[in-house]
Amino acid sequence: MVFSSWRPIKQAMERAGFMKFWIFIPLIFLTLFFPFFLSQYWLHVMIISLFYVMMASSWNLIAGYTGQISFAHAAFAGVGAYVSGMLAVNMGIPAWLGILIGTSIAGLLGLGLGYLCIRMGGIYLSLTTLGFSEILRIIITNEDRWTRGTMGLQIPGFFIEYSKMSYYFLFLIVSVFFLWVIYRLIHSEMGLSFRAVLNDELAASSSGIDTIRVRILAFTISSAMAGMAGGLYGHYLMLITPDIPSLGQMFLVLAMAVIGGMGSFIGPILGAFILEILSEYIRIYGEYHVLLFGLVALGMARFAPEGIMGLLEKRWRLRKIS
Amino acid sequence: MRERILEGKGVTKSFGGLMAIHKVDFYLNEGEIVGLIGPNGAGKTTLFNVISGIYPLDEGELFFNGTSISSLKPFEICRLGIGRTFQIVRPFLKMTCLENILIGLIGRGERQKHLREKKKEARFYLEFVGLKGRENSVAKDLTLIEKKRLEMARALATNPKLLLLDEVLAGLNPSEILQALELIHIIRSQLRVTIFWIEHVMGAMMKASDRIIVLNQGEKIKEGKPEEIVSDPQVIEAYLGESNA
Repeated sequence: MVFSSWRPIKQAMERAGFMKFWIFIPLIFLTLFFPFFLSQYWLHVMIISLFYVMMASSWNLIAGYTGQISFAHAAFAGVGAYVSGMLAVNMGIPAWLGILIGTSIAGLLGLGLGYLCIRMGGIYLSLTTLGFSEILRIIITNEDRWTRGTMGLQIPGFFIEYSKMSYYFLFLIVSVFFLWVIYRLIHSEMGLSFRAVLNDELAASSSGIDTIRVRILAFTISSAMAGMAGGLYGHYLMLITPDIPSLGQMFLVLAMAVIGGMGSFIGPILGAFILEILSEYIRIYGEYHVLLFGLVALGMARFAPEGIMGLLEKRWRLRKIS
Repeated sequence: MRERILEGKGVTKSFGGLMAIHKVDFYLNEGEIVGLIGPNGAGKTTLFNVISGIYPLDEGELFFNGTSISSLKPFEICRLGIGRTFQIVRPFLKMTCLENILIGLIGRGERQKHLREKKKEARFYLEFVGLKGRENSVAKDLTLIEKKRLEMARALATNPKLLLLDEVLAGLNPSEILQALELIHIIRSQLRVTIFWIEHVMGAMMKASDRIIVLNQGEKIKEGKPEEIVSDPQVIEAYLGESNA
C-alpha cells in the first residue's frame, strides 16, 4: 500500500488527540501553501484572524467549558502587549522574552483575580472582570508617561526584518500550539472536571471535585493565553494603543465565540475567521460592524445557542438519521 | 460492638427563622443499613445536605470515623468517604454515562493513575449498576431509573465507606423497586458500604433496614428496629397516622 507509510504518523496523531486525521491533510496543505498566493493585504487579514483564533478559543475554554463569562480577556491581551512592549522600549528586552514575561504576568493577574472573585460565583466574576478591564484601560490611557496613552506606544517588531510571511507562520505555529493545548486539556481529566462543573457544580463538588480550584485553574490558563496572544499582536502591529484592552475588542471576541459555537472546539476558530474576514468587507461602515456583530451574536444566543457549529451538527445528525 | 462510622451530636441547622433540624443526635455503625423517615418537611434532606457539607452546621458536631467533618467542604467530605445521591436526580446531563462515572473516579484525587485505567474501572461500576451497553449514551437521554442507577454508580465510583441515598425508590414501579433494593443489598455485601437512606416507600424501608430513625419537624422522635417503629404511637401519629387512619 502506498499509504502504509502514513500509518505511524496517523497513529501518533490519533494518540495526540487528532482523531479525524484525514480532515487535517487538506487543511495542513492549505495553511502551509495558501499564504504564498495571497496579497500582502489578505496576508494581514489572515494574521489578524489567527490572533482572534487564539483569543476566541482561549476565551471559549473558560466561557464555553466551565461557564464563567469573563470580560477581562481583552484586558489580559492588553497586559501581555503592554508588558512586553514597555520592556522592549525601556529595557531593550527581546520580544520573545518580553512576550513570555507578559504571558506570566497575565496568568498571575488571572490567578489573583480568579482567586478573589470566583468563590463568589455567578455574575460576580463577570462584574469584577468588567471593572478590571475598564480600570486597566483607564490606567493605560492616563499614564501616558509610560504608555503614551491614546497616541500609542511604538515598539520593535518580533523579527528584525519585517516580513508578513514570517509573522503569518509565527502566528500559525502559536495558534496550532494553543489549539493543541486546549484540545489536550478538554480531553483530559481536567477537561472532564470543567464540563462537570459547567453541568452541575453542586453534583460535581459532591462527587469529590474541588470546583473552585478547577474554575480558578481554567481562568488562569485562559488569561495567560490571552496575554501571549496580546504580546504577539503588539509586536506584529508595532504600535500598541488602549484599543487592545478595550471592551469593543472584548465584545468582538465574545461575538466570535458565540456565533461560531461556544463549548465546541471548532466553533471559535470558525467564528474568528468568519467575523474577521467579514469585518474587512464592512469596514467602510466604521465601528458599526461591532454593533452588527453584537446584534447577530444576540440573535444567535437566542435562536441558536450552540452557534454555527450547533446548527451544522444538527443538520449533520438529521441527515444521518434520514 | 461494631465501630461507629458516623456520629452526629446536637446537629442544628436553621434557615432564617425556620428551624430545619434541631439538636439531632444520631449514629451509624459500620456495615449497617439505616433508614431515615419522617413526614414532608421533617428535615431529612437537610440532614443529608449538612452531612455532605453542602450546608454549614449552625450548632453541633459531626464525626466521621472519629474525626470532625463539621467545617469541611463537600469535595473534602466526599474524599474522606461519604458518597451521596440526590432526591431530584443530578447526573451531568450533557455528558455520557461513562464520563459521569469518571467524574466520581477523578473525584478520588488519585493523580498518579492513568485515565485509561480509570475508564476501565468506570466500566466496572457501569456494569455493577446494570447500565452495561449504555456507556456512550448521553445522560439526559436516560430513563428515570437509569439516571438513578447512573447517579448511584457515580457515588460508588468515589469509593465511599458510607453512602447517603436520598429517595432512590421514588417514582419507580414495583418491579423497578425490587431491582433497586437488590442493588442496595449487593452494594452492602460486595462493596462493604454502610448505607444511610431516606425513603417514603415504607414496605421497602421496613424490609431492608437494620434500624430506622424518625424525624418530625426537625427533631428526632424515635429510633429503633423497624418492628418497633411501626408499633410506636408517636410515630404513627406523626407520620403513618395519615395513611393508617
